Amino acid sequence: MDFESYYEIAPTADFIRSRSFTRVALQFPDELLKDSVRVVRALRDELQSLEYDTEGNGGDREVRFFVMADTTYGSCCVDEVGASHASAECVIHYGHTCLSPTSTLPAFFVFGKASINISRCADNISNYAWTNGKPIVVLFGLEYAHAMQDIKEALVVESSRLCGSRSRLELYCAEVMCSDMNPSGDDKTSNGHLGPVESCAADEGCGVATGARYSIGGLVWNLPAGHRLEEYILFWIGSDNSAFANVVLTFNGCDIVRYDATEKCLVTDLSQQRRILKRRYYLVEKAKDANIIGILVGTLGVAGYLRMIRLMKELIVGAGKKAYTLVMGKPNPAKLANFPECDVFIYVSCAQTALLDSKEFLAPVITPFEAMLAFNRGSEWTGAYMMEFRDLITSSLVEVKKQSGEARFSFLQGGYIEDVDLQEDVEKDEGGALALAYATERALQVRDKFPNFLIKGTAKSGAEFFATRSYQGLDMHSNNTLPEPYLIGRTGKASGYEDEKGKQENV
Amino acid sequence: MVKFTADELRRIMDYKHNIRNMSVIAHVDHGKSTLTDSLVAAAGIIAQEVAGDVRMTDTRADEAERGITIKSTGISLYYEMTDASLKSFKGERNGNEYLINLIDSPGHVDFSSEVTAALRITDGALVVVDCVEGVCVQTETVLRQALGERIRPVLTVNKMDRCFLELQVDGEEAYQTFQRVIENANVIMATYEDPLLGDVQVYPEKGTVAFSAGLHGWAFTLTNFAKMYASKFGVDESKMMERLWGENYFDPATKKWTSKNTGSPTCKRGFVQFCYEPIKQIISTCMNDQKDKLWPMLQKLGVTMKSDEKDLMGKPLMKRVMQTWLPASTALLEMMIFHLPSPSTAQKYRVENLYEGPLDDMYANAIRNCDPEGPLMLYVSKMIPASDKGRFFAFGRVFSGKVSTGLKVRIMGPNFVPGEKKDLYVKSVQRTVIWMGKKQETVEDVPCGNTVALVGLDQFITKNATLTNEKEVDAHPIRAMKFSVSPVVRVAVQCKVASDLPKLVEGLKRLAKSDPMVVCTIEESGEHIIAGAGELHLEICLKDLQEDFMGGAEIVKSDPVVSFRETVLEKSCRTVMSKSPNKHNRLYMEARPLEEGLAEAIDDGRIGPRDDPKARSKILSEEFGWDKDLAKKIWCFGPETTGPNMVVDMCKGVQYLNEIKDSVVAGFQWASKEGAVCEENMRGICFEVCDVVLHADAIHRGGGQVIPTARRVIYASQLTAKPRLMEPVYLVEIQAPEQALGGIYSVLNMKRGHVFEEMQRPGTPLYNIKAYLPVVESFGFSGTLRAQTSGQAFPQCVFDHWEMMSSDPLEPGTQAATIVADVRKRKGLKEQITPLSEFEDKL
Repeated sequence: MDFESYYEIAPTADFIRSRSFTRVALQFPDELLKDSVRVVRALRDELQSLEYDTEGNGGDREVRFFVMADTTYGSCCVDEVGASHASAECVIHYGHTCLSPTSTLPAFFVFGKASINISRCADNISNYAWTNGKPIVVLFGLEYAHAMQDIKEALVVESSRLCGSRSRLELYCAEVMCSDMNPSGDDKTSNGHLGPVESCAADEGCGVATGARYSIGGLVWNLPAGHRLEEYILFWIGSDNSAFANVVLTFNGCDIVRYDATEKCLVTDLSQQRRILKRRYYLVEKAKDANIIGILVGTLGVAGYLRMIRLMKELIVGAGKKAYTLVMGKPNPAKLANFPECDVFIYVSCAQTALLDSKEFLAPVITPFEAMLAFNRGSEWTGAYMMEFRDLITSSLVEVKKQSGEARFSFLQGGYIEDVDLQEDVEKDEGGALALAYATERALQVRDKFPNFLIKGTAKSGAEFFATRSYQGLDMHSNNTLPEPYLIGRTGKASGYEDEKGKQENV
Repeated sequence: MVKFTADELRRIMDYKHNIRNMSVIAHVDHGKSTLTDSLVAAAGIIAQEVAGDVRMTDTRADEAERGITIKSTGISLYYEMTDASLKSFKGERNGNEYLINLIDSPGHVDFSSEVTAALRITDGALVVVDCVEGVCVQTETVLRQALGERIRPVLTVNKMDRCFLELQVDGEEAYQTFQRVIENANVIMATYEDPLLGDVQVYPEKGTVAFSAGLHGWAFTLTNFAKMYASKFGVDESKMMERLWGENYFDPATKKWTSKNTGSPTCKRGFVQFCYEPIKQIISTCMNDQKDKLWPMLQKLGVTMKSDEKDLMGKPLMKRVMQTWLPASTALLEMMIFHLPSPSTAQKYRVENLYEGPLDDMYANAIRNCDPEGPLMLYVSKMIPASDKGRFFAFGRVFSGKVSTGLKVRIMGPNFVPGEKKDLYVKSVQRTVIWMGKKQETVEDVPCGNTVALVGLDQFITKNATLTNEKEVDAHPIRAMKFSVSPVVRVAVQCKVASDLPKLVEGLKRLAKSDPMVVCTIEESGEHIIAGAGELHLEICLKDLQEDFMGGAEIVKSDPVVSFRETVLEKSCRTVMSKSPNKHNRLYMEARPLEEGLAEAIDDGRIGPRDDPKARSKILSEEFGWDKDLAKKIWCFGPETTGPNMVVDMCKGVQYLNEIKDSVVAGFQWASKEGAVCEENMRGICFEVCDVVLHADAIHRGGGQVIPTARRVIYASQLTAKPRLMEPVYLVEIQAPEQALGGIYSVLNMKRGHVFEEMQRPGTPLYNIKAYLPVVESFGFSGTLRAQTSGQAFPQCVFDHWEMMSSDPLEPGTQAATIVADVRKRKGLKEQITPLSEFEDKL
């Protein structure tokens, strides 16, 4: 595939020109960074040639490009903060994306074009669908969006060939929501070159479906009224990436089959993905036992993230727990372990980077949806799963329910346990002027009669956690006021200090 | 059966001196329930309205099927003593009517938590021992438990009918057997010297031992016979009783009592002469249908039979005759009333065991005096599932005051700490209920000394709790119960239909509430786990879960899963080092096994994080040969800060070391919970911090750098110290006749078990075998054993210890490696153990 079409140079230039942007940020993921210079050059050439075509229209205007890489958060989201540093007016995003709505800048997405054998793909899908006899919905990775029109046609042909006149194969294809985006977060206004086409039901012609509308990760599709998605087989064209994991988790009640375009085969065994769901369930149960919760800000771009963070705080405080908000870029075990007082972290980010599950983390990292399950007494795990927090805000789960008095059952400890009583704090806050006095009073309580104990109680707040640490900072009680004797420090590099050289040779 | 209205029953409940709360305890299959049934048949209280309904002990279907008791059941009995029999009673009483609240408890070890709960709310215990099998392991266990709770025991030597019909032993031999049984029981009781409880040993000549045949419904104490003969010999009743036991011989020829066998053929032991022989004679006459001989004999004994009963033949006739002559209920109930304490007597000395607070406050005094006017002190010992699904009765005993319908009570849970608000609720009692047979009757109030069921508190009581009046804010709770078995056998459950998950979750919560011994947890992989004391216990739990708590929704259970422990065989072969993520910090560590017995000492709490460091270092240096200074350098225990592993600081002169201590401890807690081999808990490993290199800037040696590093270096040192798995091992006790021994040995061999004790019970053909059996192999063990020995051997398994498996889990193909692979697969881990190179760094 030639470079110009892979990077959609012409439509991009069109987009920039039509909106007359002069400062444009180009956001590349790590694996495409090597092409960035060529892309900039190609874009500049293209824009210049466009200028010549429509001469006279302010020819002195120069478009400046800024290449952004190594984003602070997931590379699938638009890095608006990074773009703002360069005072860019829009962002052109390359590569895999989650198509999360932006909050301040317009964005144009270039998905890239992965190669796919269309006939082989259509063949596989229709054969599978035929043997199963269930209606199907075709979803795909955005890198295959370019081929979807062809695949759809091929499928219609293929299915009519297979079914003959006996029965019809019901087939629905998802559409890409849009390829450019305006910060309003309103996904219906934009109309890119792949913009919504009416959903196409095979054989029935193009009747406008009025049923339920589904959307996930930038894909949208409609199903006729009265049908549930569970009745369909979901086909996923693409690789086993986070977008797919998102689909599997969100539609965990459906049969899902993946067509791997590089291997050219169907993958029906999804036990690994199912296992993820159960694992998430475990994390929710674990989160219920948490006292201190860290809210990790995993995005500064996705629309509504501030609202989500506020919501999370309210939820946590409502559950009588303590929340701390942390901004640390991409979380990794070493960063999170700097906050050993947090029992669980909530990662507020776009749907496709939200699932962080590694045994390396000291404390589990859960999504806002899971946090709602965990900290809302009365809500229970039904199997339904939501990744995108836009859906979450609108869902009924949000309202903080009144707590029932019954002790909570902890599956981690295998018994009923008592949660921290939050009423106590509420009462004290009412004291107003006395609140400070109460606080100091509590601060001065004797916490531990025997500081030599090797265990400490579980802390309810960060301050309490620090109070129970064995190391409290510099020891000021030292009676020795004489200056310490002069000592020779270590020399050399961190990979092996001079005094360690000898050891190394011995090994 | 006695027909009562609720009001009549309620009236007797006020006479605190005339109440006996007692439990029936014994080894499995020694005849508790049969004996209880015969008592219930005679004296059980049923409601007036359901008089037509004869079935009293409405057992669960599965209980009947298996022939064992699973849940303890409480039954109230009513007995009216005659003035004559009460004349020697010296205690306080209030009329002749007695109310006996009896709790029949299961004998199988798997259900011993039920026994614990029953003992807490009773004051006396009827210990049932099979006259042939004698005192068995479970008899001993429950007896110890009872005495620990200051429960006064009386003994009944049961299954007397076996002596007469099955074994046909002669009088002297039978006496020797009985004597030995009683002695064995007394040996156990004597170890519990308790000045307040007094002498708890049992003596036939004092009337604290009965001889019973539960199956045939007859029993006697020496009192019965003493009464009979006292007038004949013209001696005092108590004098006569003494003669009927021990070294007292009577020669009918000379009509003289001697303290030695004179050697004359007619000279026999008093017991044999006057108790055993007459019974034997009657039984044999009945069995041989010698009715012409029988009627005069009965007439002499003052036994009158109904005319239709006279037509009976053989065994039914014998049963009928014996029941009429020596009714079990009379003998046993009189023994209980005479020798077991009333609540007001018992609470005087039990208050020390029960009450956690100061023993001179008003609550302690109220309990001590069993004061119905005092503040309410009520202990809820168990939650009984009610007929409407999902609700529970809170069942317990009122120790002082009165509990009434509508009363607002303070509920102090097991985690309640006086002065704090933790685990504390104030709620109203919706109804107070007493049982009359299987029928629940609501009563206005229940005074102290009685058992009661409360409605409307189930949401706030998890397993057990102490209730008191709303206003009694300074009351301390009643001490929580300690259970003697631990849940080691686990199964994973999931629902067949994924959408039933909420039902399963709810069901598990209820199951956990209904049975204090069951533990419902969740695995890392998201699977729900139910852990129970044994295979049988689990089976019952699963059945309850599915049928009662989940409304029949189908569940799928995995094969039983056993948890393992990870340990090390030797000291690490070298000091291992790991670098922090920023490469600026290094931790050097070594692992070594803890000294033998140290892990157990930590388990038992003899050594723990809460100890005074001086005391701890004393034990460690004296018993385990630790260096005194080293013992002071223990950083922590783990997992969960109390587990049987430790981190010890062996560094010399390292700067900033105290700064990273918390981080290393956090890493250790994490790593010791999920070992490197298959993420099971570690056990018996000591990690020595040998050296530490830290970055000079505090920011570069924070928790984020040190915690993951500590975890990695702990794994590395574990892997270099010859890691091994430990498996749980049962102590199995089997009683069987000699011919079954071959079968037992072969089954045990097949199951990797080994016998360490084999002892013949003196005077019986029975052998007592003690063996160790890995828990993994125990599934289906009792079934196989029964098949191999044609049902003659019945094993009792109790968790005993953790044993190291000799094979190397790192070497492919060994047994340990197979287990590791299984565990890793179940947990959804990579099949291969993470190699050492992932954890260890080189300079």
